[in-house]
Amino acid sequence: MLKVGVVGAGTMGSAHSRAYAAMPDVELVAIADIRAQAATALARECGARAVADLPGLLEEGVDVVDVCVPTPMHRAYVEQCAGAGKHVVCEKPLARTLEDARAMMDACSDAGVELFVGQVVRFFPEYRRARELVQAGALGEVGTARFTRGGGFPHASDDWYASFAQSGGVVVDLMIHDFDFLRWCFGPVRRVYALTTAGREFNRLDHALVSLRFESGVMAHVEGTWAHPAGFATRFEIAGANGIVQHDSEQAAPIHTTLRNPETGGAGVAVPESPTLHSPYELELRHFADCLLYGAEPEVTAEDGYEALRISHAALESARTGRAVTL
Amino acid sequence: MVDSVKVGMISFAHPHAFSYAQAVRATPGAELVAVADHESGVAASVAEQYGATPFTDYQDLLKQELDAVIICSENARHAEFVMAAAQAGKHVMCEKPIATTVEDGWKMIDACREYGVKLQTAFPVRYNQPVRRAKELIDSGRLGRILAVQGTNRGQNPGRWFVQRDLSGGGAVLDHTVHVVDILRWCLGSEVRSVYAEIDSRFGATDIDDCGLLMLEFENGVMASHDPSWSRCKSFPTWGDVTLEIVGTGGVTRVDATAQHLLAYNDATGRHTFEPWGDNFDLGLVGDFVACVRDDRAPSITGEDGLRAMEVALAAYESARTGQPATLARTR
Repeated sequence: MLKVGVVGAGTMGSAHSRAYAAMPDVELVAIADIRAQAATALARECGARAVADLPGLLEEGVDVVDVCVPTPMHRAYVEQCAGAGKHVVCEKPLARTLEDARAMMDACSDAGVELFVGQVVRFFPEYRRARELVQAGALGEVGTARFTRGGGFPHASDDWYASFAQSGGVVVDLMIHDFDFLRWCFGPVRRVYALTTAGREFNRLDHALVSLRFESGVMAHVEGTWAHPAGFATRFEIAGANGIVQHDSEQAAPIHTTLRNPETGGAGVAVPESPTLHSPYELELRHFADCLLYGAEPEVTAEDGYEALRISHAALESARTGRAVTL
Repeated sequence: MVDSVKVGMISFAHPHAFSYAQAVRATPGAELVAVADHESGVAASVAEQYGATPFTDYQDLLKQELDAVIICSENARHAEFVMAAAQAGKHVMCEKPIATTVEDGWKMIDACREYGVKLQTAFPVRYNQPVRRAKELIDSGRLGRILAVQGTNRGQNPGRWFVQRDLSGGGAVLDHTVHVVDILRWCLGSEVRSVYAEIDSRFGATDIDDCGLLMLEFENGVMASHDPSWSRCKSFPTWGDVTLEIVGTGGVTRVDATAQHLLAYNDATGRHTFEPWGDNFDLGLVGDFVACVRDDRAPSITGEDGLRAMEVALAAYESARTGQPATLARTR
């Protein structure tokens, strides 16, 4: 039985807690959040204890701590967990800076504990399927790839996403998903060029266009946005010499429901859904549990999280200097 | 009763020529009088199909009583044909890209000015109704201030002279950059300041580029990207696409210029295809050109428009050579 504690009861902490609570060989022991109400409500739902903070959580006799706090706090939390000899699952991005990320990795390896990073897109079935097709040669040699992710500006505690210093904006927080996935498919990146609204716009509009050239020769365009009025969507296309795969989250939803508003008799909101047996978060955390419980080989490592962050920082440097950055 | 505008066509090397010929025939007040192609078989069969007089020497065609000519030769031959047409006093519509060098582009523009004839660059996407609707949304201010645009004009390698550098001047990047750059210049009312590009051959072309990615900055601060790759595989359900996603402070709009199509499935071919039902934008292009000749007004799309779009593609090649963004050096 793997004993897990979750720190942070926000959007991601809630998704992770529910996933652990449903696993037969995992015991979700406790959930920590400085917002006592949030911790208590989530703990009650998941059959765990609520605690005030990370030191409290570390006293609960857990084997692994899942860190779901805002990015700039990752380093301090992970170092405390490592110091207490706990394995760590850390949400992406691994850290805001490369320096913090490396320090976290060093702290965990010095303490002899595992550090997993939640690059969850690797567990999204549509992305995995696309990679399988690429690996199987179904597209022939891949020439170009185009990835898009984003929608409206995200809301979170203290509006921390709106602080570039804390979140790094779309380039660090959001596009790191696609940077990691593309690296997983096409190997190391040679050259990065980026255009972003950072420094041009404010007012909760963040939009970036990034060109990645891989050592393998593949050229990729990645768009990340928090500049739409609302919504969230992902799209991608991978084009090879003999084939193309395309994905559009808005087209792929197999269920579209529109309910009549019982008060007015008029139309309510149309809700598209794409139900699966297990969510990508469940698949990701199941895999990390299998690594810790049964010695499974990790499909994504802290080093992968670091390399994806390196691409984000190269993109920021390119946007700042107006020059292409060679990695 | 207004006299009809008498149109001749020089060269059917570019496949758009056949669509333009049909468009001339379908335009009220226009008449396709003469066609020239250095291959006599092509000239004869086209002439028969469209009821025009065939010529194998374009100089003979230019001696005919014509108001205007449409030139659809290989890119590198545009300059010769346009300058000869100008000298013969014929108004000109020239297929894109206007030329293969900036020098040729200016020579063509100057010759048309000198001989007092109109020069229109053939950018049919300006007559695509979904694209026009997007421009209306921008012009109305409803999208707010524009922050970013991502465009694509993906297609298939057309082969033939398109992959011979001496005739085409460049591959996918020259062929498929100019349409979208023209639309962006038109919609944003601004010129490209700099371009960064990745360019390569990864889809089977041996001696010329068949894919690329352009990252553009406009004078007015808008950032954009564009994908001009010949990246559609043979089994793709259509020739390619023109798409734009425009992000503004007031909202977002996504345009797929050819989304007005049926999905057709066919056991005989084993394929499924897109069967378009939207307005024919070649008809809009040719109709507007004929109207500017008849009404003696300035063309809606000028030679300079063609040249500015070509300059961006040429700067993209320069960027790919140096590995850093190229600033547009507009000589005039």
